Amino acid sequence: MKEFEYLKPRDLNEALFFAREYKHRKKFLAGGTDLIVRLKDNLIREDYIIDIGEIKELKGIERKNGEIYIGPTTTHSEIIESQITKKYAPLLVEAVKTIGSPQIRNRGTIGGNVCNASPAGDSIPALVISGARFVIKSLDNERTIDIKDLFLGPGKTSIGDDEILYRIIIPEWKENEIGFFNKLGQRNAMSISIASVAVKLEREEGNKFKKAFVSFGAVSPVVNRATRCENLLTERELNSKDYIFEAASCAVNEVNPITDVRATREYRREVSKYLLYESLLNLLRIGG
Amino acid sequence: MKTIKINFVLNGEEIVDEVPVNITLLDYLRDYLRLTGTKEGCGKGECGACTVIINGRSVNSCMVLIPQVDGKNVLTIEGLSNDGVTEIQEAFVEEGAIQCGFCTPGMVMSTYYLLSKNPHPDEEEIREGLSGNLCRCTGYKKIIEAVKRASGGKK
Repeated sequence: MKEFEYLKPRDLNEALFFAREYKHRKKFLAGGTDLIVRLKDNLIREDYIIDIGEIKELKGIERKNGEIYIGPTTTHSEIIESQITKKYAPLLVEAVKTIGSPQIRNRGTIGGNVCNASPAGDSIPALVISGARFVIKSLDNERTIDIKDLFLGPGKTSIGDDEILYRIIIPEWKENEIGFFNKLGQRNAMSISIASVAVKLEREEGNKFKKAFVSFGAVSPVVNRATRCENLLTERELNSKDYIFEAASCAVNEVNPITDVRATREYRREVSKYLLYESLLNLLRIGG
Repeated sequence: MKTIKINFVLNGEEIVDEVPVNITLLDYLRDYLRLTGTKEGCGKGECGACTVIINGRSVNSCMVLIPQVDGKNVLTIEGLSNDGVTEIQEAFVEEGAIQCGFCTPGMVMSTYYLLSKNPHPDEEEIREGLSGNLCRCTGYKKIIEAVKRASGGKK
């Protein structure tokens, strides 16, 4: 493993101070499930590793004013086990459950999943359709941004090198909302997504929905909302398989995948459509 | 070489040491303490052979930097069997859930963690509980049977 300087700030303020001091020469360490592997592979050029994993101000799950506040170094397991997220952020819980293995979820953090900005980060589509916001702090500033302004490209976020992600805020899941997270990987556990999709539908009446939120993971450089699919899903009552297939077919124009070791560009495009189609039929209990 | 002082509890005993900052918990267990029960398989969190328990949670020790262990409570396969063979290990033997044995310490630690959270898991929960541990010999069937036996779900 490469040589580095290890720093462990006592609190958020000291962490922010280190961030300003070392800027692009530092990497934050939280759970380490990505960073430590990359350190071993000599893929990290930064010389300062700043361990923020135990800073109390960056941990925990709270509910206030109809929103859920999650500290970035909260682990995936903590999100899965929390009564608050189970009840008020069920879709995020569903997505996070598909990450890695028990050992990885015990260590990996939601903030790490977000800040690594991998297009295949499994919490990201769920955060996108939830309309998540992010509180970002530096020594002398605090700002809140929408998720659409967070990701700039694979591995890139708009969080500055003197800043730290402080909170992830998601609106509470409402009673008239239904949804799912579904992912295709090589097997159920331990697999990096080939394609994934998160959907939230706000019911008007029966199978007529007034709002639809659709987001695909692992099939675009930046995880976004699939607005054309969304529009079709609210246009009519979702009762016929043909119409749902038509809406799902829009996916091929919404995604912009790459070919890599896991799948080809063409396969990802096609499979996004069927992933959405089958999950919708399942959600709406339309037999096939 | 940059070093750091660490102080933590390992298998019930206090460890105070000064170690290079850029080694993993797994390196430290195997190469410094010669506790070779914890295995290194892939070295990147895929195989689970290096599973240990830190503060009650199962983790891949190959992905824990040694400074992160400071102040923690660590349990390895050696600590699990301090007082002789445990029921979990007994169940693995009884069910013939071991072939080459390389994955076994990790499997046993993941089973220990699973049963600490859920004393009577069903088959689905067992499979999920062991999903971070690879075995290249047994095909998992006997391992799952062993976990059932250890949880009292099978006599």
